[in-house]
Amino acid sequence: MKVGLFVTCLVDMMRPRIGFAALKLLEQAGCTVVVPQQQTCCGQPGFNSGDRESGRAMARRFLKEFEGFEYVVAPSGSCTGMIRCHYAELFPEDPALQARLDALSSRTYELTQFLTDVLQVKLADSGFSGTCTYHDSCSGLRELGVKQQPRSLIAQIPGAQLHEMDKPEVCCGFGGTFSVKLGDIATRMADNKCQDALASGADTIVGGDLGCLLNIEGCLRRLGDPRTRVLHVAEVLAGPEPEEG
Amino acid sequence: MLLTSSSFKRNVRRKLADPSLQRNMKRFGGRFVEARAAVMTEVDNLEEIRIAAAAIRDRSLANLDSYLMEFEAQAQARGTQVHWAETAQDVNRILIGIARANGVRKIVKSKSMVSEESGLNDAVAAAGMQAIETDLGEYILQLAEEPPSHIIAPAIHKSVEEVAELFSEKHHTPRQTDIPALCREAREQLRPHFLSADMGVSGGNFLIAETGSVVIVTNEGNGRMVTTLPRIHVAITGIEKVLPTLNDFSTVVRLLTRSATGQSITNYVSMLTGPRRDGDRDGPEQSHIILVDSGRSRLLGTELQQALRCIRCGACMNHCPVYQNIGGHAYGWVYPGPIGAVLTPSYVGLENALDLPQASTLCGACQVVCPVKIPLPELMRVLREKSFRQGLRPWHERWSILLWRSAAERPWLYAWATRLAVRVLRRLAGKDRLLHRLPGLDGWTEGRDMPAPSSRTFRDLYRKRHS
Amino acid sequence: MSARDNILARVRKGLGLPGEVPGAEREAARAYIAAQPRGPRPTYAWNDGVARFCERSEKLGSTVDRVAGIADVPRAVARYLHSKGLPTSAVIWPALQGMPWAAAGLDVQARAAQGSDLVGITGVFCAVAETGTLMLLSGEDTPAAASLLPETHVALVDVTRIVPGMEEAWALMKAERQGPPRAVNFVSGPSRTADIEQTIVIGAHGPYRVHVVCFG
Repeated sequence: MKVGLFVTCLVDMMRPRIGFAALKLLEQAGCTVVVPQQQTCCGQPGFNSGDRESGRAMARRFLKEFEGFEYVVAPSGSCTGMIRCHYAELFPEDPALQARLDALSSRTYELTQFLTDVLQVKLADSGFSGTCTYHDSCSGLRELGVKQQPRSLIAQIPGAQLHEMDKPEVCCGFGGTFSVKLGDIATRMADNKCQDALASGADTIVGGDLGCLLNIEGCLRRLGDPRTRVLHVAEVLAGPEPEEG
Repeated sequence: MLLTSSSFKRNVRRKLADPSLQRNMKRFGGRFVEARAAVMTEVDNLEEIRIAAAAIRDRSLANLDSYLMEFEAQAQARGTQVHWAETAQDVNRILIGIARANGVRKIVKSKSMVSEESGLNDAVAAAGMQAIETDLGEYILQLAEEPPSHIIAPAIHKSVEEVAELFSEKHHTPRQTDIPALCREAREQLRPHFLSADMGVSGGNFLIAETGSVVIVTNEGNGRMVTTLPRIHVAITGIEKVLPTLNDFSTVVRLLTRSATGQSITNYVSMLTGPRRDGDRDGPEQSHIILVDSGRSRLLGTELQQALRCIRCGACMNHCPVYQNIGGHAYGWVYPGPIGAVLTPSYVGLENALDLPQASTLCGACQVVCPVKIPLPELMRVLREKSFRQGLRPWHERWSILLWRSAAERPWLYAWATRLAVRVLRRLAGKDRLLHRLPGLDGWTEGRDMPAPSSRTFRDLYRKRHS
Repeated sequence: MSARDNILARVRKGLGLPGEVPGAEREAARAYIAAQPRGPRPTYAWNDGVARFCERSEKLGSTVDRVAGIADVPRAVARYLHSKGLPTSAVIWPALQGMPWAAAGLDVQARAAQGSDLVGITGVFCAVAETGTLMLLSGEDTPAAASLLPETHVALVDVTRIVPGMEEAWALMKAERQGPPRAVNFVSGPSRTADIEQTIVIGAHGPYRVHVVCFG
């Protein structure tokens, strides 16, 4: 099964080990994974800020890089949501292009969704050990229906226990550029999320979207908590990934 | 109502720093959410009914002129006088005109958000008449001289202590903090006004084209009082509120009350059709309705038309994490929360409410609960696009987006720029690998740290591993 | 042009409809209204409409009594008022004045309600099992305020007039009446408010108590 890995711009820049973790998980599951080197961003930051052209330009690029794959997988509900739900409305004037894009979108999956729903994977022990609490990122949850998948995958890791937090489905306040434009509100929302997460007693906050994780981690650290780990679900499932640099 | 949406960011700061508001929102904000979730378990085919309700609203809107004309004809045939208000000011002018022509001195009002749009109470007072709010929440706010902060729980931002203080001061009664006792106190204050008022003013949840009726959906009974006891009843409502039939109403009301307060049905659903009939022993002698445009027709035929489906249940604000943290006043106009973020710019002008469509993480919680399936995040995005297109956003925001787009279209430039950015960020970060301050991203770093990139870019690492 | 014409013209223009006034669309709108389609409802079902109505009424905060026939009603009402220590004088729908109230020890006055009335006795047009709701139509002998101004509202419900849902209630109204009365009031339990701290308080501006006597 030939899979194209869409690393996503945030993972590319901020946490490459998430990309490698996703790569490892897919390869362990028997996929032939290719990471197209000319990929960039899904276009969501600009699209959600009102620049439709960002969405169109990056949808074209996405199509160019990924059209040849049987499946495309991204370690992000947010980017996958952009592709699956919003690419569908970008080219009303060019039905042929839109149709190609729609066909590609329908083969694009969020990582945990792909591992469970498509591959029905049996995971190897990643060696991860700790108590996790899972934050449901908004796009994954509400645009893609990602809810049970990451939980069932975490449950396969012998050393991982899941402690649900109160209101795991409430937004953490990231919201892309919202987190900068309306930073006061974003901070308050992140505060609330951190409090709910910590109250679960978990030592690791896990999520499926790096944006949320950076927001939550940044808030935790500012609150003076250097200990609680904030990890992408792929890191928990694949285990510690050495990084260089 | 005084418009302060243009200072949204300032309002937000103030509200986030207001300990009593924060405490009250935390204490009461979640109750609607729990109540709605509980009552929706009765509805096993919620999605089917939502789709039907949205279709009913869409049908009304798609031929709004026909249904309005049908409504008007039926209403007039049953003795209701139908008035049309193009603007909010026209609402006040028409209402005061009716009052003057009938020697009205005292008006009792049940809840009408449309009358908040026009600042009716102030206009009535300026015309030398008295308008008394009778919905408990609205009454509290009239005493406190504050606008509502929620469309169905207008005083949700106030604690019982604040209400106790207010009642004691304004009623000259001993301070009491027992909630049922405060409700009785308000009842006793307002009962004489119901019985002595010359005019009752109500909103209208729906207009029924089939019968020319106005329907109001209430709990306290004040809506029935103001439409039954005074000799004149005036209902004020938006032109979009028309429903074709009573059966359509039955479908929609099942979702309205459940979405709003978590009730299978409210205590009172009253359908009013014309004035007192021959032989009737009660009811008003005159029945009027003011149909208000005031910006609504501008939305028709645009993507924003879907916002006119709104049945004012308030579920979007109850479930909005932004609203729940800042309260309704920060939005700076009549309609707060996600629906307000769409309606306010549409009604008062985008340039006067520029930050409202941005005041959302687009988390989608509102869309999931909206009983008539308004794609609120999508509509906020439509307004963001409009802002961007019209150059209304700050230059640095525009440039950042354009730069990002231009880089992301050119993989070589993108690779170079992200490599550079990662290096710079890593250098700026301290030993703790956190950025405590980042010029240009102050909005983030004022309240949170920014974790620094953990390594080189994935792209570079991957190439190295596979070379 | 009048405000009306301006608004309707703007609506028409916004919607992109041809011409200045609706022609075929208005006919289509009328046809839709005439067709009276019913929408989907929750699929809950019940075997016994009366039991459902009573159960839902109690859930709304009303009290419910059931008696065999209409002849038992005055005594049942008196029993309720005594048991609650409520006054035995009441304002009553003129439509109900022919019943033997005095024999049950009640002093009833058939007129429109006033602010000082403490007990109001009404019938209903019909009642809705789905939600435990009373449907009252205003009229010469069925004034609206009797179910509103008094602190206690006693409603008499003929069990043969219990219909499944609001749609059936409308259908019954259309079948039996020439158009709607001035006021149709659906009453679902005693008045309430949650405007202070989202705390539900029974008894806002309307009745504190609704007592339903089902007969038949």
